[in-house]
Amino acid sequence: MADDETPSQTQESSTAREFSANGTSMSTTDVEAKLDKGNIEEAESSLRERLPLNSESASCNPKTATFRNEHLNPNSSSVSSSNYSSSHENNCANLDSQSQQAARLVLEGVYLKVKSLQKLGKFAEAAQDCTNILDAVGRIFPQGIPDAQVESKLQEMISKAVELLPELLKQAGKYQEAMAAYRRVLLNPWNLDNDCCGRIQKAFAVFLLHSGLEAGPPSLGAQADGAYVPKNNLEEAIPLLLVLMRKIHHGDIQWDPSVLDHLMYALSLCSQTPVLSNQLEELKPGVFHRTERWNLLALCCSGVGQNKAAMNLLRKSLHINERPNDLTALLLAAKICSEDSQLAAEGVGYAQRAVDNAKRVDEHLNVGLRMLGLCLGKQAKVSSSDFERSRLQNEALKSLDSALSFEQDNPDIIFELGAHYAEQRNLNAALRFAKKYIDITGGSVMKGWRLLALILSAQQRFAEAEVVTDAALDETGKWEQGPLLRLKAKLKVSQSRPMEAIETYCYLLALVQAQRKSSGPMKIDSQVEDDKVKEFEVWYGLAALYSSLSHWKDVEVCVKKAREMKQYSAELVHTEGFMHQERGEIQEALASYINASLLDPFYVPSKVRIGALLSKLGSNSLPVARTLLSDALRIEPTNRKAWYHLGMVHKDDGRLADAIDFLQAASMLEESDPVENFRSIL
Amino acid sequence: MSSSNPGSPSATATSSSSASSFSSKAHSCIQALSSILSTVPSSVSSSSSLLHDPTVSSQISTLLRDPDSGSGDNNLCRWLYDTFHSPDPELKLVVLRFVPIVAGIYLSRIALRKSLAGFEAILLALYAHETTARDGQPISVNVPDLTQPSIYHEAKSSVKTQATELNLAVISPTLEPHGTMRSSRRARIVGVALELYYSKISQMPVSSKLEFCEFCDIWATGIQNKPSSSSSSKQKTILLPWELLQPSLRILGHCLLGAHKSKKLYEAASMATKSLYERSLHDIDAKAILATSSLLRLEKMALDPKLNVDHTEIDMSLAL
Repeated sequence: MADDETPSQTQESSTAREFSANGTSMSTTDVEAKLDKGNIEEAESSLRERLPLNSESASCNPKTATFRNEHLNPNSSSVSSSNYSSSHENNCANLDSQSQQAARLVLEGVYLKVKSLQKLGKFAEAAQDCTNILDAVGRIFPQGIPDAQVESKLQEMISKAVELLPELLKQAGKYQEAMAAYRRVLLNPWNLDNDCCGRIQKAFAVFLLHSGLEAGPPSLGAQADGAYVPKNNLEEAIPLLLVLMRKIHHGDIQWDPSVLDHLMYALSLCSQTPVLSNQLEELKPGVFHRTERWNLLALCCSGVGQNKAAMNLLRKSLHINERPNDLTALLLAAKICSEDSQLAAEGVGYAQRAVDNAKRVDEHLNVGLRMLGLCLGKQAKVSSSDFERSRLQNEALKSLDSALSFEQDNPDIIFELGAHYAEQRNLNAALRFAKKYIDITGGSVMKGWRLLALILSAQQRFAEAEVVTDAALDETGKWEQGPLLRLKAKLKVSQSRPMEAIETYCYLLALVQAQRKSSGPMKIDSQVEDDKVKEFEVWYGLAALYSSLSHWKDVEVCVKKAREMKQYSAELVHTEGFMHQERGEIQEALASYINASLLDPFYVPSKVRIGALLSKLGSNSLPVARTLLSDALRIEPTNRKAWYHLGMVHKDDGRLADAIDFLQAASMLEESDPVENFRSIL
Repeated sequence: MSSSNPGSPSATATSSSSASSFSSKAHSCIQALSSILSTVPSSVSSSSSLLHDPTVSSQISTLLRDPDSGSGDNNLCRWLYDTFHSPDPELKLVVLRFVPIVAGIYLSRIALRKSLAGFEAILLALYAHETTARDGQPISVNVPDLTQPSIYHEAKSSVKTQATELNLAVISPTLEPHGTMRSSRRARIVGVALELYYSKISQMPVSSKLEFCEFCDIWATGIQNKPSSSSSSKQKTILLPWELLQPSLRILGHCLLGAHKSKKLYEAASMATKSLYERSLHDIDAKAILATSSLLRLEKMALDPKLNVDHTEIDMSLAL
């Protein structure tokens, strides 16, 4: 077959099927008859005899002749699939290049048929033929394809067939078979190169993710010892994509952005964005622009609540020398800052920039305004002077109002306006917004109900507040009723029904303890912590209730139980201090209050109590009392007890005008005091 | 497009023995339906033909969009509820086909204070079915790192740990039984109905998926983006917590990137994804931003011919 003649043109022939080369030609019938009988060697030898061909033309001519033949007449069975299988069984042990060539010729013919059928839209038949190719290859190489001994063209054809089979099954609509084909292709050794293997793995991963059909676990034969075996589609797709990413990191295959995007989609659905962060960090520089990488990482961190890390990244990305006007990054930064009063001032800057940019591009302006309002409101909470606080609060309200003007039905803006007005004790406006919020959300968000109940309680409409709380309890699932039941108990206390309040607490306690014991092994750490916090709050609430009734024995029991949940708590120490105070043990009371203040420097009730006690100890301690009470007011400007005691301090000091002002403020606040602090809402 | 039922031999045996009872159940269902709809074509004789018949579907869809359709005494809701409770799984599929419309209209009408007991009954029935099926287990996915070898790769795990740390991601938490529709659990109940719909999505007709895309647009932006119609009516958006968003994104992923051939569905899914992306920016929801932006990029890449080279093509340069 190693002639030196040049290959010639194949003749156009639509009626007589013939091979031709170098001027001679022969009809195909003879060869076909031999092929039909399954004897490839004879077919090949007759070809060789009659057509003087070199190896190259031997490869193209029968191929193109068969191809053209099939193109015109796909029903011809000149290369029928079943026939060569028997001949190949004879070739099993014989892997020399000659028989490989023979095999390749025949298989290429079938492959041409397959491609033609595909182009004609006959996918099921094409898939069947393609399967036969793979079966045949499997019989030639029963131990899998060895690396070095396979002729390159044969390998190429095998790779193509292997890549094509699952696609054909998909196009034929046979999805379960496609899944099985993908697994067969990927789990058996076909000696595929990295690119081909990568493409097939990606196609399989995409099919697993989006076909909507569960693949079922792979067969046991495929599992090696200790290997990880996936149990559902996501569990199979995600590791495949991770394997592909690893190949990209090692440079085995080219960078393909779709792999990362598929992984991003799958991992964000599973809320596993830290895994995505790892992948992004491993990518070489230059794949993404650095600000794009930082922004994506920030989104990944923010998605699981790692706000500090997200802020660090966003600060880099929004730096003046990088991309300071990226709207998504600005809004994300503003949002994270709006949740933390220490970051609120920084957040105002980002939100303002977002608003300025949004005006230019005319999109998401209302989001920017809303973030601005939130950040300003949070900043107001930590401002040191009264003047600045009221200025910031006014600006916050202005921002929120303009955000609302763009979007009248945005529930978040409505809620935030309601909460702001409530904190400023503009109770009528707050009530309007709270009612609207519940209407818009259909009562599905608990904080709306709580806000409404608190506003009603601040207006001293306790019975109505209790009705609202009961309605909310009807609409809430059992395990989320905790805060509402606590609210209900406090409302009962305000209506002088302490025994009913105790009953409510006991019911709540049973609920919380049942929840702690109910959920089985799937409990994660944060859930365990949450349950402890809930039970702590119940015991603490009961302790506070009993101490208002002066049942000291019960208070001690409750404090002890609460301490089991949370050992170091300013509230508990404060409660003990109150107990000492009521029993007349002033020194111990003072010690407890000071300890509580040390445990939590922002815990206002202790400061107020210390100030109150000190103010009674003589004129020397009045300045200290005044400092402490002023500090309390700085943290919580609407604390009526602080106003009252400060008024008394001024009176004792002889500053009667000031005293009158303060006592009046205390009196006004008392008239509009909610049963729980409005701060607990926002 | 429908796949074969993945059934064990015993399941097929029982189904063949009760095939007659199923077909009679299907008949009685179709009979009941004919009293509600104006026309039921005679070609509709079995549950699978009921699933795919376009006249029946469009009539039911129109009736469901009626302003008073969700009330407790509505015949159609009653029929859907009864049909879902039949033992024939194919009839259950018929009800599932209408989940997008029922869920969509139900959520849009919450703020209107209408009686929606009919819709609620259907959604609660779907939720109860899933609760029993899942048997108190959450649906979780193990996201491994590559240090442990898998069937697809080798790994140099030098330290063989006894118990590899499981990175278990909970896709759908444990379901508590709910007898009534409480507002705070509404999103979860509808979300579970959507999850059930997704589990059977390969058997759903294209018209059902188109309806889903339409409602995604409405939920996200309030604007009904019908590609064919030029008008866009403004409706109220709804709260989109993660419990609703996550199953919706999975369904959209299937509509956009799954192996189907409908160009109309592709366009509708593309618009719905854009709407959800805008909405996720509006709410500044990081996970949703990541998921929707990746879908949009993938959609663009799928349309780019340079990136979609068919490597299985024969190299024709040798031929001539």
